[in-house]
Amino acid sequence: MRIIIAGMGDVGYQLAKQLSSEAHDIIAIDNDQQRLSYTDSMTDILTINGSSTSIKVLKEAKVEKTDLVVAVTSSEEVNLTTALISKRLGAKRTIARVSNAEYLENENLVGFHQMGIDFMIYPEELAAMEVVRLINRTAATDVIEFENGKISVIGLKLDKSAPVIHQKLIEVAKANPTLDYRIVAIYRNFRTIIPTGNDKFLPNDQIFVATKPEGIESILRLAGKENINFDNIMILGGGKIGRRVAEVLSEKMTVKIIDSDEDKTFELADQLPNTLVIRGDGRDIDLLAQEGIIDVDAFIALTEDAETNLISCLMAKHLGVKKAIALVDKVDYIPLTQTIGLDSLINKKLIAANSISRFIRKRDMVAYASLEGIDAEVIEFIAQSGSDITKRAIKDLDFPKGAIIGGIVRGDESFIATGNSEIKANDRVVVFSLPDAVKKVEKYFR
Amino acid sequence: MNYKVILNILSFLIILSGLLMTAGIPFSIYYGHNDIVSILISAGITIGAGLILWFFTRDADRTQLGKREGYLIVTLSYLAITFFGTLPFIIYGGIPSFTDAFFETMSGITTTGATILTDIEALPYGLLFWRSLTQWLGGMGIIVLSLTLLPLLGIGGMQLFSAEVPGVTKDKLHPRVKETAKRLWGIYLILTAAQVILLLFGGLNLFEAITHAFTTLATGGFSPKNASTAHYSSIFVQYVFILFMFLAGINFALHYHALHLKFQPFRKNTEFKFYASFIIIAALIVMILHSPHQAFSFEESFRQSLFHVLSIVTTTGYVSSDYENWALFSGKIFFILFFVGGCAGSTGGGIKFGRHYLLLKNGFLELRRLVHPRAVIPVRFNGKAVSPDIISNVQAFFILYMLLIVMGSLALSLLGVDFLTSIGSVASCIGNVGPAINGTGPMSNYAFLPDTAKWILSFLMLVGRLELFTVLVLFTSGFWKK
Repeated sequence: MRIIIAGMGDVGYQLAKQLSSEAHDIIAIDNDQQRLSYTDSMTDILTINGSSTSIKVLKEAKVEKTDLVVAVTSSEEVNLTTALISKRLGAKRTIARVSNAEYLENENLVGFHQMGIDFMIYPEELAAMEVVRLINRTAATDVIEFENGKISVIGLKLDKSAPVIHQKLIEVAKANPTLDYRIVAIYRNFRTIIPTGNDKFLPNDQIFVATKPEGIESILRLAGKENINFDNIMILGGGKIGRRVAEVLSEKMTVKIIDSDEDKTFELADQLPNTLVIRGDGRDIDLLAQEGIIDVDAFIALTEDAETNLISCLMAKHLGVKKAIALVDKVDYIPLTQTIGLDSLINKKLIAANSISRFIRKRDMVAYASLEGIDAEVIEFIAQSGSDITKRAIKDLDFPKGAIIGGIVRGDESFIATGNSEIKANDRVVVFSLPDAVKKVEKYFR
Repeated sequence: MNYKVILNILSFLIILSGLLMTAGIPFSIYYGHNDIVSILISAGITIGAGLILWFFTRDADRTQLGKREGYLIVTLSYLAITFFGTLPFIIYGGIPSFTDAFFETMSGITTTGATILTDIEALPYGLLFWRSLTQWLGGMGIIVLSLTLLPLLGIGGMQLFSAEVPGVTKDKLHPRVKETAKRLWGIYLILTAAQVILLLFGGLNLFEAITHAFTTLATGGFSPKNASTAHYSSIFVQYVFILFMFLAGINFALHYHALHLKFQPFRKNTEFKFYASFIIIAALIVMILHSPHQAFSFEESFRQSLFHVLSIVTTTGYVSSDYENWALFSGKIFFILFFVGGCAGSTGGGIKFGRHYLLLKNGFLELRRLVHPRAVIPVRFNGKAVSPDIISNVQAFFILYMLLIVMGSLALSLLGVDFLTSIGSVASCIGNVGPAINGTGPMSNYAFLPDTAKWILSFLMLVGRLELFTVLVLFTSGFWKK
């Protein structure tokens, strides 16, 4: 596919990297020559220096032959204009990043689709929903749901006290025959392992488990975790994400939100009637203590500043808060999460890139998520009739080494894959895969 | 300060009031009353004075109208209309003293309804019609009326509008102030006509129906009958009064929505909900307190309580029985009700429900703020957070209001009026209510007060009608500096 990406910020860069590794032809447009040179040196793409709203630049990028234009600059206006112009100039599909929830809510009212924008992405909303999912599944570091939760892949960190430590996967499976789950990956020492039955659980492993909803509680017990119900949340930063998270969580929990900006706090207090809004600097430990950080179940740092978020989360952890989630928009910091002992990091740029990838691959993949920090992807495929995957049982398939089948959804039923499972046409299959295996896996489903 | 513009606009208002003065003449002719000549002379003088003023200022540039000119014009026009409005009473001889006539007219135009007349029915119908008409004009506002009639006010219209209709929140019904004014007066006319028709059904004649509808919707309280509304024993008529007093106390923007069959805004409006529940609860309390002392039937007890609570709370000031002697606490309870007022954007006076709500809510929230000193806890009004500026404005209003009452009561006491009467009259006049307690209670009038006291009360009525700031700002030195 020929894809133009307008804007080489973090989202654009991440997307370019992902897509070019999947053998798409990427043309990057950006105003900033330095940024382009950097991107060019890191990935295999064509770069054009100029404004993406310029018709000359778009023609130079051969927009008329392009399958997809992705406009992800930091400016909503530029993105919308780029998408509109590109569509008129002959691009097949367009995606625009917006920074206003209203546009998504009123998509049909305004008719963005007729105007020429096929898909709009609002990263802040996606990030907020990710935070909410993490708060609702308190023990997990990651939660990816497929088919409305019929199958989920959850990430868990194993403590030293977990009952399964130092046991082989196969032993644990034998000891719990009734339990329906499949370990799809283990992240250990900065490497992602697709495990076999003979691998052992070690302390500080981060494991990824495919399971059905009724199995989640038992899995958590085996991992030495418990899903505690949170009812006291503190949010730092009243930006778009913080506001949305507070709005959703305050329906069920007590939420306090801290921001230092005077006008912003007033606006927050206006929009969030059930939330206590506090004006002050979130790095001020006296303030946090005064507002009862000790009694808080979860601390969520969502300011613009990654370092502030990390530090304040560490502080919260230090004070004994059960769960700390930080918004970190610097991709480089993501591997740090586990090392420094934070529960989860949220990166809205990666989330945005994921969401766009998902849209691009919509034809054969239903859902898609790229796991932050561990360089792996969880993908939902639909098995085409007559495809290789439907011909044999899983153990006889010679499935790529870097990938593993987690679960299968057939109609309203779902089950966790075992070696003996057979996949039928039109099944929806959740696959955990390392990036270089994705292409090979795709072939099995065609 | 552009005095030429001020006088020019004033001249229009004076001519307008001169024309309106003659509106009662058909009734005088029909009933054969002898005030036609006096009214025509008064109207002639008024219109003449207006024309002279207009002639000397005819080249004024009316676009040169700022905020300060707005305050001055509104205050001066109320004074001018009151001044010329006294002429029919003086020339006819119905109220010979200028002080008394001024008090009576000011009480009319500010919709207070306090009277110095001991025998109202002795006045001819032309004068009584003018007396009720002053209230009707003052109710929705003479400036708002002039905005709809006169094409003269362009940009400055908004300045005048906000000086006459201050309120807590601005409800513009239309982007153009002239159109907003038209809609407000339209609703006012429709409601007045509706009440006239219902009162005609209730057996009143056309004169009584119109004059009473005028003073009900203006929440004024003047009645052409000595016994006020107690003159009418019909239960139907009393319920008509109850209904329209209640309607007059509601924000007219809500009526506008109701006319378009949109009732959602009523449910969302914090002030309306507060107003409606307050009326019901207050009426029930009054009813319970009074039942052991009065030989009323249940229905009559309910009707009397509701009538008087509405009459005082909306600052109308009708009386249909002597509320002071209902029970031990009667006077005190009604005294407290003087401070309530209608809704913002209604024709009612007083402190108003919106301000009370903000003050109370803010007071209680202050307790929460003590627990969370760094928290931002705003007062919510109509589902929206209210900015601290408005809260501080409301607090300033309340303080000044109370200060004026304290100073006014002291002044009246010093003039030899007994203290209860003083404080009651002052609170009643600044709140534009009408009847007060003790010496100026529901069964008495203001005639016996010393002249100075009447001037003080007239001033307070004006200050109260224009919601303090418009008048008080004229007394600051900064206002007059260039």
